[in-house]
Amino acid sequence: MSAATLPVSPRPPAARRPQAFVEPISSFAEAFLAQAGRLNGATELGDLRRRRFERFKALGFPNQRAERWHYTNAARFLNRPWHPAAAAELGSAMVTPYLAGGSRARRLIFVNGRPAASLSHVQGLPPGVIFKSIGRVLAEEPAAFKALLDQDREDDGLTALNAAFADNGAWIDIPAGVKLEVPLQLLFLTTVEAGPTPMTHPRVRIKLGAGAELRLIETHVTLGQSKGLTNLVGTVEIGKGASLTHDRLQLLSEGACFVGQLAIDLEAEAKLKQTIATLGGEFVRNEMDARLKGNAIDCLLNGVYMPVGTEHVDTAIRVHHLAPGSHSNQFYKGVINDRSHAVFQGKIFVEKPAQQTNAFQQNNNLLLSDDAEIDTKPELEIYADDVKCSHGATVGDHDPMELFYLRSRGLDRATAESMLTYAFAAEVFERFSDVPLKLLARRMAFERLPGGSALQGML
Amino acid sequence: MLKIENLKAGVEGKEILKGLNLQVKPGQVHAIMGPNGSGKSTLAYVLAGRDGYEVSGGSVTFDGHDVTEMSPEERAAAGIFLAMQYPVEIPGVANSYFLRQALNAIKKARGEPEVSAAAFMKLLREKAAVVGVREDLLKRDVNFGFSGGEKKRNEILQLAVLEPKLAILDETDSGLDIDALRTVAEGVNRLRSPERSFIVITHYQRLLDYIVPDVVHIQAHGQIQRSGGKELAGELEEKGYDAMIGAVAA
Repeated sequence: MSAATLPVSPRPPAARRPQAFVEPISSFAEAFLAQAGRLNGATELGDLRRRRFERFKALGFPNQRAERWHYTNAARFLNRPWHPAAAAELGSAMVTPYLAGGSRARRLIFVNGRPAASLSHVQGLPPGVIFKSIGRVLAEEPAAFKALLDQDREDDGLTALNAAFADNGAWIDIPAGVKLEVPLQLLFLTTVEAGPTPMTHPRVRIKLGAGAELRLIETHVTLGQSKGLTNLVGTVEIGKGASLTHDRLQLLSEGACFVGQLAIDLEAEAKLKQTIATLGGEFVRNEMDARLKGNAIDCLLNGVYMPVGTEHVDTAIRVHHLAPGSHSNQFYKGVINDRSHAVFQGKIFVEKPAQQTNAFQQNNNLLLSDDAEIDTKPELEIYADDVKCSHGATVGDHDPMELFYLRSRGLDRATAESMLTYAFAAEVFERFSDVPLKLLARRMAFERLPGGSALQGML
Repeated sequence: MLKIENLKAGVEGKEILKGLNLQVKPGQVHAIMGPNGSGKSTLAYVLAGRDGYEVSGGSVTFDGHDVTEMSPEERAAAGIFLAMQYPVEIPGVANSYFLRQALNAIKKARGEPEVSAAAFMKLLREKAAVVGVREDLLKRDVNFGFSGGEKKRNEILQLAVLEPKLAILDETDSGLDIDALRTVAEGVNRLRSPERSFIVITHYQRLLDYIVPDVVHIQAHGQIQRSGGKELAGELEEKGYDAMIGAVAA
């Protein structure tokens, strides 16, 4: 295969079109200067972080002219005077509503970017399983974290920004053959104590050995209308025959921005079932780059977004079929209301060796307001000749016959509409593997629907 | 109870009902038979208030009130129920939840107290047993993945729970095998009462062997062409539509 067909291949900064990127404002340099010496692993990673900060300055923030952004001016949301989040203590009562995975789940809970030891519970996992904060990794074996940063893509300013500041997050290692029965939850909370414009740069590193199994729950919550930027970078390696279930729920306030990039590598016979629900946030970008490197892989990416007000939510997925005989499916739904804006860009690459690929993609949207906007762009790039691929996108309103049916049974129009809207989104909530998380997502979804409070009985 | 006078109605400017007259008294079962395209389903939709079905002339009064300007939900609250020929699938909405919401919406509109979840489940189980709906279908999404027979039975279950004054059954027999037809008909017969009227729209006489009507109408070309007792259905079955209505059409 040619390098040109792989969008993740490193590209020198000189090759970019300058107008597609916006130079960071000076507050980032000030923040870096003030913060660099205080980060975990400051001694060991100081030089690397400085280089990454320089790279960030050179690459800047993308706007719509940038290839992978197109419908979102990220610079407008991100190039603002953020400041490193301040620490805060949080009582367990504040956290309880967001716990998922059941009573046996193990959890790493981050408050304003820092692990909260008193709230977390990581003990008692099978031998060989590693589940710890990156702060601990930096204290115990900084070289391992450095090696992780060495694998970063070189063409992305946000990744470089993360690398310059990242000193926490989660490190998960499930050794070959270990089928972890208890789920792991990563809960990221931002509180008002973090400051008026806090930023955090979490790293998540997940590795499953051959035949390993993991159910992972990732929750992002802003408490009490706290604002802030979360710039997450994650790498996921799913070994041969291993299985990862990944539920991500985002419950973010009006002033919160979230950018999350996941690079996912799957080996032969691996399974991934990912489900993402985005319920809130001024700007949320979920980006997934999945590389299917062997045969008989099953990669299922589900998601639902329900922006209201002036929220902006952007999903960018690239699935690369690199080897024969694997299966991928993208299933995304959107309910777009008020003056909000949603973007779905999903691309399937089928490289020449990847014969007998089955790759599908579906993006269905309900547009509830004349002022709302959806840009959906499903794409296929196929170099193999014996494949089954399809993609589709729909944008519409409620089905008139469904609406009539409900009303003919006595339900008023508003109730019937919110019931149908909820049902439309619920198909994705149903794909969450974790039941408490599913219930939380459904409850929060009602708050985003006109007349939704009357639907609590649908739980 | 229901009085339709010189009703003219259609879809997208095309007139389908061309001066239809029909009067239904409390407790009566009227059968409307007619060939395809005679406007039987249009009549059903016009009575239930489906969007896009425009009344251009005549009147429909139900319990003394003009219903033509009423929304579908207002008609439901007034006591009109349409069992549809093609019941709609609503994935994501549980059958029992939907039906409780519907019942309570109707009760609320009538100023009656709502039914609690527990009391409703008891009621629903009783009614489901009467009309032959399996309990697992109550928990499933509305009509989603139901067989043809299950969908029709689910319509009759809704009828049993909502207890309308006027039930319109639009080709409830279509797509049913003889056993399912019998179950559905038995369900309907149990719901017959001196206060409740039925309009049974059907293409064939078969259903009327089980739901015996008081009056049979033959509808064609957007009008009732002939009316008579239950023997009219038998005559129609024997002679066929052409012979019965041909003279009128010509």
